[in-house]
Amino acid sequence: MKSSARFVAFTGILAALSLILSMLENLLPPVPGMPPGAKLGLSNIVSMYAAGSMGLMPALALALTKGIFSFVTRGVTAGLMSTSGAVCSTLVVWLLLGKCRFGLMGASAAGALAHNGAQLMVAYLLTSSAVLYYAPVLVLLGTASGVVTALALHAVFQPLERLRQTGW
Amino acid sequence: MSGRFPLFRKRDLLVFLVAFLLAAAGFWRWIPSDDALIAVVEQNGEVVKRVDLERVTEPETLTLEGDVTVTVLFEPGQVSITNSDCPDQVCVRTGVLTRSGQSAVCLPARVAVRIEGENASGADGMTG
Repeated sequence: MKSSARFVAFTGILAALSLILSMLENLLPPVPGMPPGAKLGLSNIVSMYAAGSMGLMPALALALTKGIFSFVTRGVTAGLMSTSGAVCSTLVVWLLLGKCRFGLMGASAAGALAHNGAQLMVAYLLTSSAVLYYAPVLVLLGTASGVVTALALHAVFQPLERLRQTGW
Repeated sequence: MSGRFPLFRKRDLLVFLVAFLLAAAGFWRWIPSDDALIAVVEQNGEVVKRVDLERVTEPETLTLEGDVTVTVLFEPGQVSITNSDCPDQVCVRTGVLTRSGQSAVCLPARVAVRIEGENASGADGMTG
């Protein structure tokens, strides 16, 4: 990263990307039979890229941006859920991808699990034990969505790297 | 392609294994019944302890001291009286309780263990 202005601009682009991805995802009609909270997690593509390629701090900044956005647009509960999930999964992905040399699929699946786990904990604290009930379903769906986002990131990784390094 | 971050490494299997085990453990706990199982232990007519059996992860024992000493064993999804100093041993022979409505009673010790479902509908609730 040559200049800090470019760094900030690029982080901003990533933040916008992740917000747009989660917005688009919310436009999809809910699939019948899916437990609440089961999402594709498309914005994880962006946070995973940031955690792997840019480092922990920019990735956490993205997670917090997303969380604050949730607070503002969808309320305290959604904000808490979003922030806790995003921060936890960012930490896990950063650890596995950057430090422990896992592949994209493993890191992504683990990140999705961390995301679900953190959200379940918050939901548990906010409501009751009932939410723990579909935890096993969330584990399976989270792993699957982790694989999907890993494939997506694999596809867009090179263009993103080029954008980050050369400006276009 | 993204050489720094290959799509898949062998060690990724570790993550999938953990996920699989987590899910399997979770589903396994679903099997005994479809409502929460609360084990209620009473001694001398008073509730001594309530345990949500769905949330028990490791076997745990409770020893009730009294004229007759009784040991209750809580396990994931089930509860049983494993030991009693009484002569008739009816409660021990009752065996393992896994469904709401079941109970094991030790009259000499005035100890009763029963399972309550969270829905409290009872096994033979009305279906009309």
